[in-house]
Amino acid sequence: MNRKKTHFIGRKIYLGLILFLLYAPIGTLIILSFNASKSRAKWGGFTGKWYISLFQDNAIMNALYTTLIIAFVSAIAATVIGTAASIGIHSMKSRARTICMGITNIPMLNADIVTGISLMLLFIACRFTLGFSTILLAHITFNIPYVILSVMPKLRQTNKRTYEAALDLGASPVYAFFKVVFPDILPGVVSGFLMAFTMSLDDFIITHFTKGPGVDTLSTKIYSEVRKGIRPEMYALSTLLFATVILLMILINTSPKEPKSRTKDPSAKQRRLPVRQVIPVALILLIVGGGIFYRVQGTSASNEQVVVYNWGEYLDPEAIELFEKETGIDVVYEEYETNEIMYPKILSHAIAYDVVCPSDYMIQRMIENNLLAEINWDNVPNIKNIDPTYMDQSKSFDPENKYSVPYCFGTVGILYNKTMVDEPIDSWDVLWDEAYKDNILMQDSVRDAFAVALKRRGYSLNSTEVGELTRATNDLIEQKPLVQAYVIDQVRDKMIGNEAAIGVIYSGEAIYTQRENHNLEYVIPKEGSNVWIDSWVIPKNAENKENAEAFINFLCRPDIALMNFEFITYSTPNLEGRKLIEDEEIRNSRIAFPTGEDLKNCETFRFLGDDVDSYYNELWNKVKSS
Amino acid sequence: MNSHKKLLTGPYLIWAAAFILIPLAMIFYYGLTGEDGGFTLGNLLAIGTRENFKALGLSLILSIISTAVCLILAYPLAMILVNMNVSQSGFIVLIFILPMWMNFLLRTMAWQTLLEKNGVINQILGFLHLPSLQIINTPYAIILGMVYNFLPFMVLPLYNALLKIDRDIINAARDLGATEAYTFRKIILPLSMPGVISGIIMVFVPALTTFVISDLLGGSKILLIGNVIEQKFKQGSNWHVGSGLSLVMMVFILLSMAVMNKYDKDGEGGMF
Amino acid sequence: MDRILIDLIDITKSYDDQVILDNLNLSIRENEFLTLLGPSGCGKTTTLRIMGGFETPDSGQVIFDGEDITSLPPNKRNLNTVFQKYALFSHMTIAENIAFGLKIAKKTDTYIRDKIHYALKLVNLEGFGSRYPDSLSGGQQQRVAIARAIVNEPKVLLLDEPLGALDLKLRQDMQYELIRLKNELGITFIYVTHDQEEALTMSDTIIVMNQGYIQQMGTPEDIYNEPQNAFVADFIGESNILDGIMLEDKLVEILGVKFPCVDVGFGKNKPVDVVIRPEDIDLVDPSQGTMQGIVTHLIFKGVHYEMEVEANGFCWLVHSTDMSPVGQRVGLHVDPFDIQIMNKPESEDEEAVSIDE
Repeated sequence: MNRKKTHFIGRKIYLGLILFLLYAPIGTLIILSFNASKSRAKWGGFTGKWYISLFQDNAIMNALYTTLIIAFVSAIAATVIGTAASIGIHSMKSRARTICMGITNIPMLNADIVTGISLMLLFIACRFTLGFSTILLAHITFNIPYVILSVMPKLRQTNKRTYEAALDLGASPVYAFFKVVFPDILPGVVSGFLMAFTMSLDDFIITHFTKGPGVDTLSTKIYSEVRKGIRPEMYALSTLLFATVILLMILINTSPKEPKSRTKDPSAKQRRLPVRQVIPVALILLIVGGGIFYRVQGTSASNEQVVVYNWGEYLDPEAIELFEKETGIDVVYEEYETNEIMYPKILSHAIAYDVVCPSDYMIQRMIENNLLAEINWDNVPNIKNIDPTYMDQSKSFDPENKYSVPYCFGTVGILYNKTMVDEPIDSWDVLWDEAYKDNILMQDSVRDAFAVALKRRGYSLNSTEVGELTRATNDLIEQKPLVQAYVIDQVRDKMIGNEAAIGVIYSGEAIYTQRENHNLEYVIPKEGSNVWIDSWVIPKNAENKENAEAFINFLCRPDIALMNFEFITYSTPNLEGRKLIEDEEIRNSRIAFPTGEDLKNCETFRFLGDDVDSYYNELWNKVKSS
Repeated sequence: MNSHKKLLTGPYLIWAAAFILIPLAMIFYYGLTGEDGGFTLGNLLAIGTRENFKALGLSLILSIISTAVCLILAYPLAMILVNMNVSQSGFIVLIFILPMWMNFLLRTMAWQTLLEKNGVINQILGFLHLPSLQIINTPYAIILGMVYNFLPFMVLPLYNALLKIDRDIINAARDLGATEAYTFRKIILPLSMPGVISGIIMVFVPALTTFVISDLLGGSKILLIGNVIEQKFKQGSNWHVGSGLSLVMMVFILLSMAVMNKYDKDGEGGMF
Repeated sequence: MDRILIDLIDITKSYDDQVILDNLNLSIRENEFLTLLGPSGCGKTTTLRIMGGFETPDSGQVIFDGEDITSLPPNKRNLNTVFQKYALFSHMTIAENIAFGLKIAKKTDTYIRDKIHYALKLVNLEGFGSRYPDSLSGGQQQRVAIARAIVNEPKVLLLDEPLGALDLKLRQDMQYELIRLKNELGITFIYVTHDQEEALTMSDTIIVMNQGYIQQMGTPEDIYNEPQNAFVADFIGESNILDGIMLEDKLVEILGVKFPCVDVGFGKNKPVDVVIRPEDIDLVDPSQGTMQGIVTHLIFKGVHYEMEVEANGFCWLVHSTDMSPVGQRVGLHVDPFDIQIMNKPESEDEEAVSIDE
């Protein structure tokens, strides 16, 4: 008896542990949604403000409704197609049935990444613009199997004779189906629908490959935010979603419970029906209504639009709203993380972007590959506000100042935590110091990583010498065990949260991190570094070139330049804008606006040609997979 | 009559041809041609380069380990769940589906918060004066992420397979003198094989091909074959090599299924 | 009589506040073919499962062969069970199924081979050893289940509605098969069924159960001829159950008519239940009957005719080899010793006349 009891307790503990494993991250997210600090790594006190700002955040709400609408529509379509298909397959001869089920199993068993890639290849081959409709098609495709696989077993259980009995009693096939067969398979249809809905909601990988600009589901939105730190509103939203689902489940499971004595009272069943139906119907109305509301809000009266492709968190959303309000032009906004991710998208012509913001060397590459359109300066009178120094500097990659308008500039340097290092840092060597093993954050992009290694040895960061590059590669491989992680924008959060002592960072981020954590110090190493410019350009296949120019002109306005500087904290080349900065310390900050002395050994990246570029990539792959 | 019903399959078959078969054919096309459009096996052979080969090997190791861990964790769990009150079975399935309503990326991200150097777990360990746990950005963190994300895919088929075993079959074995352990080995385990097999496939395939988990929990230090392929499409812009590598990966998926199906005599394993 | 092999003492068992067995006491003798008979939900299967070790009673003891085995797991008990739906191991051949218990008992290979051969012969399934259960018919599977249980030479074989899933003809064949087996093996059979005919055919002793109580225990003849209460009378065979008043010893009033009977000791003017089997009613000339009525229904049943006779506001069921056409006036006559008088149940619990099936 006792043994049995310990047995029982053991089981409970095991179950509890597994559930803890499953729900610990969820609990974490819920707690984070109440964290007053924007940083994931720091507890800044309890707050409910994210729940309020969530509803004012158009981007998140749009993503939410896109997600829900795609999940809902794709689940409905999959349910209809899948149920019909199941009935057909069920009546087939076994050979045909095996083939059909085989096809059905392909998306179930195949890797998501392959399904996603294959659909992307199809859409692009058919010149289908990637966007909302392609995501929807993809989701329907992977949802149908879930429906078929949950309806088929129910069909197998149904008694064929009941259908025949209905026909015998004079019912038409359609009537007989809906009155006799359908109620039997309904549980399968419903669970298929719910399965499809859930799968669609949770999908990231397939959406990642089939989505286009301006359309984001929650998953892709989150993924684009992962690198720079997720906005707390996301946590708030997921908490709300999760709470809603739990509430729904509790309602459905507890509302008018079946009386324990098995009385077969038909009225009891009827009493339960409304609750069961009202909730889903209300939910559907909410989804569809909300979706339409946001769609209408999203697509304002004008048909004018401009498709912007920019770095993540590189523009104040309020500036976009202001632009839309002033000009009536809709901004379709999409973000990327690195030049290397952006470039193939432009090259493939799959999506026609109107304005892009690449870095210096990438602009050179685009010019050389004939991907850019000349800017009509008559449409960009505000160019006069840009400091001529930077127009001159731009000539290194845009020799005649024909294609680009400087937007931000800065340096790459080392950010370190004064409390975690022993002496002031002034050299790249520190990134190879065993003492800081697992305390180092490196940049996760080819050119930046190589720039560090090359500069450390005193080479040019535009080196094409095989010998120099080999040494740099070996250095990076040697360094890898010391590196805690290769990151892009996460370096910000991790440094704020004291997760690492030293990180390679862009000067613009340095200002932000110092504001959040006073122990952080930024330095441009004495060996020199990269000084870079990000500029607005217009791709050749832009469909709204004039709108693009209007957009660029708008951004060159001093007040807008200031607005952006305060939002993104990256240095602005806009002279008039800089003059408007109120805080004198920042206006004259040497991090934001370095002097010639600081930039003594610094260089700007140049495009080195496709061959050298892929050689760099090869070497970088070697480092990453070492 | 039946021919009428068969027509209902029409829309699906057209759909499947357009969105399942043709896209797959396109992967084959891209995978077997070069940039110039000529036939080549070069894209498949790209797996032979040291970096790609290493990524594939690591993917295989990590996915096999995490599949094994999932199986070891899920089996006792499924047995416990099956032995719980039957009226709660809907609820049981629910608690394993429920986490899916919290976004997959966020859930995985949350592990970062938990596992980080100054993360929640280490703060608790530190408070208890226990040595800290340094697994973030290591393969262990990736395995944890895989197990965490794919465990439900192992639990549900196992649970369904075990649920199908008549209580009296187990009673019969006990009645005939079998100890609990012997009953498990000779009766429960063989009868639940279909569930074990579909569970293994449902976990192994996504684990082998993931790029997100390794991205989020591996600190971009660890490249899996999924990451390599994703980069070929999203960054490197070499769709031909990417497709070629996908084909190689599919070979491994098919291989694992063939091996598994050999043991699945009845072929009736499934999630549902 | 043989000695007592199994003794159930004060067994109580309930699920979710619903009492299944309430203070059940039962003694089972060696070499008996004992049947637990009752409608579904009466507790008969639970009783069997407690003996098998698949359920633990909330209170009470199970004594087996002089030992308390209440908390002994099933694999340590010297009895074997044949399950309702056979519970064959579908991933093993018939021979492997049968060998299962023997292998656990670490018997030699030759012994096992001989036993399989013997058991298959016993249940008329020679040559089926290498087949899988799925390829066998219901009756064959049932016989495999029995073979699997008996090779272990248990002292007791528990059978839980083993014939429930078979069709009528097969069921009758299997009944004879089971009787033959029992005689050949010389062990105790404890048999659970809700089919009264099956119980009457095979058993040495029948226990009629309802709502967790034993209603009557006795030989098939006792149970059939001398039901102790209305429930037993109604459940076993067909009968006319009426309210009556025991006027005095050996005289009962039914539907306003006085019938002589043989029962004594009920007191005077006591309300009682009266049971009269349909075959015990003789249809005679109206003038000679104790009561007069009109035939309202007539069905030919093969062995006899089944008739319904309307008399004194009651519809009597009558079985007779002689036919009386519908509409005919007849007299009803019952021999005094064919009238069965029973006390009315005193408590709610005992009044368990409602039958689910």
